Amino acid sequence: MTKYIIRRILGFIPVLFVIVLFTFVLMRSIPGGPFDFAGDKSLPPQVVANLEAKYHLDWPMWKQFLSYLIGDDLLGEEGTSRGIIRGDLGISLRYRSQTVNDIIKTTLPISAQLGIMSLTLALLIGIPAGIVAALNQNSWLDYTSTFIAIVFLSVPNLVLAPILIWVFALKLGWFPVATWAAKPPYLLGFLPQLDQLNLNYFKHAALPVFALGTSFSASIARLTRASLLQVIREDYIRTARAKGLRERSVIVVHALKNSLIPVVTVIGPLFAAVVTGTFIVEQIFGINGMGKHFVQSIGNRDYQIITGVTLVYGVILVTANLLVDIAYAWLDPRIRYD
Amino acid sequence: MSKKLFVLVALLVIVSALLAACQPAEPETIEVVKTVVVEKEGKTVVETVIVEVTPEVVEPEAAPVPVTLNWNWGTEPPTADPALATDTTSVDLIRNLFVGLTQFDPVTAEVIPYLATSWEQGEDEEGNQTWTFTLRDDIAWVNYDPTTGETVQVTDADGNPRFVNAHDVVYGVKRTLDPATGSDYAYVLYIIKNAAAVNGGEEGFTLDDIGVEALDDWTVRFTLENPAGFFPSIAGMWVASPMPQWAIDEWGDKWTEAGLIVTNGPYVMESWIHGSELNLVKNPLWIDADNVQIERVEGVMITEASTAFALYENNDLDTTGVPLPEIDRVKADPELSAQLYNAPVPCTYYYGFTNTKPPFDDPRVRKAFSMAIDRQSLVDNVTKGGQIPATSFAPPGIFGAPEPGTVGLGYDPEAAKAYLQEYLDEKGMTLDDFNAMDITLMHNTSEGHALIAAAIQQMWKDVLGVDVRVENQEWKVYLNTIKNSTPVEEMPHIWRLGWCADYPDENNWVHEVFNVEAGANRLRRGCVDPNCEEVVPSKFDELTFQAQQEQDPAKRAELYREAERILAEEETAYAPIYHYTAVNVTKPWLTRNFPPLGGNDFFNWTIDMDAKLAAQGQ
Repeated sequence: MTKYIIRRILGFIPVLFVIVLFTFVLMRSIPGGPFDFAGDKSLPPQVVANLEAKYHLDWPMWKQFLSYLIGDDLLGEEGTSRGIIRGDLGISLRYRSQTVNDIIKTTLPISAQLGIMSLTLALLIGIPAGIVAALNQNSWLDYTSTFIAIVFLSVPNLVLAPILIWVFALKLGWFPVATWAAKPPYLLGFLPQLDQLNLNYFKHAALPVFALGTSFSASIARLTRASLLQVIREDYIRTARAKGLRERSVIVVHALKNSLIPVVTVIGPLFAAVVTGTFIVEQIFGINGMGKHFVQSIGNRDYQIITGVTLVYGVILVTANLLVDIAYAWLDPRIRYD
Repeated sequence: MSKKLFVLVALLVIVSALLAACQPAEPETIEVVKTVVVEKEGKTVVETVIVEVTPEVVEPEAAPVPVTLNWNWGTEPPTADPALATDTTSVDLIRNLFVGLTQFDPVTAEVIPYLATSWEQGEDEEGNQTWTFTLRDDIAWVNYDPTTGETVQVTDADGNPRFVNAHDVVYGVKRTLDPATGSDYAYVLYIIKNAAAVNGGEEGFTLDDIGVEALDDWTVRFTLENPAGFFPSIAGMWVASPMPQWAIDEWGDKWTEAGLIVTNGPYVMESWIHGSELNLVKNPLWIDADNVQIERVEGVMITEASTAFALYENNDLDTTGVPLPEIDRVKADPELSAQLYNAPVPCTYYYGFTNTKPPFDDPRVRKAFSMAIDRQSLVDNVTKGGQIPATSFAPPGIFGAPEPGTVGLGYDPEAAKAYLQEYLDEKGMTLDDFNAMDITLMHNTSEGHALIAAAIQQMWKDVLGVDVRVENQEWKVYLNTIKNSTPVEEMPHIWRLGWCADYPDENNWVHEVFNVEAGANRLRRGCVDPNCEEVVPSKFDELTFQAQQEQDPAKRAELYREAERILAEEETAYAPIYHYTAVNVTKPWLTRNFPPLGGNDFFNWTIDMDAKLAAQGQ
C-alpha cells in the first residue's frame, strides 16, 4: 500500500505540470491582455509597454513559462518570481499589491470551511435518505425522498439562495443576509479562530451551507439509493441472510459498506470542487471565497491568479482522488493495490 | 477612640472589598506601604504594614456609539495607490484617504482650492505655458496604528512632523510617469512637458526632465507641453496627488496595506481584509476634522447587486444601488420610493458607427439610424433609471458640454425614413438589397446591453424596416474586435461603448475620443482608406485643437458646442444614446450628496445616529 501511495504521489507531478502548462498557454491565447484597456479606454502603446515590461509579459512565452515555473533568479534574470517549484504563485496583475499566495491564503480557508460544512450536511442528509428510500422501495417514504431530491436537484442555487435570503433573513430575521464571520488570520491556516467560532459564526454559515449542502445531498441520496438497491440483490447478501444474520447487520455490515463505493467515487471530485469555492453561492452570500477568482480572473486576464487557483484545485483534486482509491480498498475487500 | 478607629478601618476594608467585587474586569492589585492603626492585645498601636490595594478605577461612562456608515464598496478596490488607480472604487477610496492639489465643487463642479490655495498661469523662458500652485502648509501626513487604534502624524528622520509639501507633489507626479511604476493612467499627465517622452522611455530623457518642480517647500510649478486652460482640473486628479516617498521606498508595492499606508486626507485606513472588508476611521488631524461628522466607515465588498439591496432593506447598509429587476418594486413602494434618487454619473452610452464600412460610410445612413432611436422610450421602458437621453457626447457637468437635446439629432422617424430612402434611391437599391448587407450591431456580453440592443434593433425595424443582427462578445475579446487595427471586413457596422470623465472638461471627451489625430478615433472618421492607415483632419478636428489652446472660457465653450454639433448633426459619426445615472436608495438617517461628477465623499455626509440605531432596534 505504501509503495502504491508513493507511486501515485510521484504521478501527481506530470499531471500538475500539464495542468499548469495548459492553463498558462490557454489563457495567453485568448484575445486581449490584462493591460490593453482601463475600463472603456484603450491605453496608449507606451503605457501598455511599460506595464508589460514590468510584469515580463514582453518576454517570449517559453521564457515567461520558465520564469513562472522555476523563478527569475534561476533564469539569470532580474525579477521577483521565485517560481512555483518554490511555492511562489506570482503577483496578481489586477490587484497589484497582492500576491496570488496572499489571495489564496485569505480566500481558500473560507471556501474550505463552507465546503466542508456543506459536504458534511450533504452526507448527513443524503446517505440516510438514500438508505431509507432503498429499504422501503416503492413505498411512500421512497417516493417522498425521491421527490424532495428531485426538487433540490432541479432548483439551482441561483434561485434557491435569493429565496433563502428573502425568507430567513429579510422576512423572519433568523439569519444575517450575507457575509462570512471568520476573519484572517486563521487557526492552523484554515479554521476560524476559537473566539470567532460562536453562534454568530454558525448563523452566518447557516444559509449558504444549507443552499450548497441540500443540492449535493439530493444527488448523494439518489446515488446511495440506486447503489444500495443493486447491492442488496447480490448473491452474498442472500448468503448473509441465509446464514441467519439479523437484517440490521446484513444491511449495515455487508450491504451498506459496499454500496458506498459509487458515493465515495463522486465525493472525491465533489470535495475538490466545493473546498476550492463555489462561485454562485459565494457571490450571492457575499462570501470572500476562492470561487470568484476562477471566474473573474479570466475576465480580467489575470494570468497569475487563474493559473494559481487552477493549480490549487488540481492539487486538491488529485489528492482527493488518491484518498478515494485508498478508501476503495477498505470498503471492498476485493480491491487490492499490491 | 480606639474602637472608632477600628470600626473605621474595618469598614474601609469591607467597602473596598465590595468595590473590588463590583468592578467588571479585575484590576491588578498593587502593593502599597501604609500606616495603619490596629488594636493589638488590647492596645492601640500604629504600625507600618505592606498591604495589597486595588487602585481605584474610574468607571468610564459608556462610550457613545461612533457615528458609523455602513457602506458597500461593491468590489475589492484593485488598489489604494493614487498612481495606479483606474476604476471608480479605487478612486472613491483614494479621495477619502488622500488630498489632491485641487478638487471639484460638489455642487457646481468648478475647480476649487484643496491642497493648493491658489494657482496662476505664466510662461517660462521658452514660451511654454506654466502653472504655479501655492500650497497650504498644515496638512499632516498620518498613519493609523492598528495596535493602538491611534492616528499619528508621521515624522521624518530628524523627528520633525511631516506636512504635505511641494516635494511630495513633485515626487507623486514623477512616480506616476516613471515607466517602472507601470501606471495605466500616466497618459492623462502627458500634457506636462516631456511627460510622454519619459513615460515612453525615450532615450535621453530622465524623470528630472518632466516639467514639474518645487520652487520652494510650498510652491510647485508645472510646465506644459501645450497651453491648456483646463490644467487645474488635471492637477487635481489622483495620479498627480502628493505621495509619501519614504513609505513607498520602504514598503514597495505593499505600502498601501492597512497599518503601513501613509495618507493625508479626511479618513485613515483602519483595516483592509482583501476581498472582504475595508474600514475607514476619521482622521483627527485632518484640517477640517470638525466638519467631518461620520467617524467610522464599515465597508463590505458585496458584488451581487441583489444581495446588497437585501442588506439595505435589512438596515445593514445605509445606501446602495438598485438592481434593474427591483426598480419597478422600489418605485411602487411608498417608503422605498421616497429613498430613491437617480444620481448623475458623468458617463455617456453610445453606439459607434464604423465610418468606413458600407453602408455606414454614407452620412445619410448614419443619420437615419441615429434618428430612428427613440431614446426617451428606451430610458423609460428599458433602462428605467431616469437616464438623460443623449444627443451629444459630453454629459451635463462637463465644461463645454451642450445642454442635452440642444445639439444633435433627436428621434424623428419621418426624417430617418427620408434619409434612408434618399440613400437607397441614389444607389438604386431596394430595402431587401440593403438588408442583404447583413448589418451587424455588436456589444459586450451583458444582460443590460442585450436588452438595450434588442430594443433599438426593434426600433430600426419598425421605423426603417431594416434588419440588424445583434452579436455579443466577452469584454476583452470585444475590445480586441473593435480596435483600430482590426481589418474593416471584421468590424461590426455598429458597436456599443461608454465613456466616463477623467476630468470634467470637453477636452477629455470629443478631443480625446474622436479627434482623428489626438483621439482614439475608433469611429474611423476622416479615413483615406477603409482600414484607416491615413487620416485627413476635418473642421471638427481643427475645432477641438483650437479649443484646447483657447484661453477664454466662453470662447472655448462655444468652440466645443460647434464641435459637438458637427460630430452629431453633420457627420453623425456616432449615435449618442443616454447619459448615465446611478439609481440609488439612501436611508432617511443618512444625508449624502451626489456631486455632478459622481464619487462618494464620506466626509461631506452626515448620519443621524439615534434614528439609525432606533431603526436597527438597538
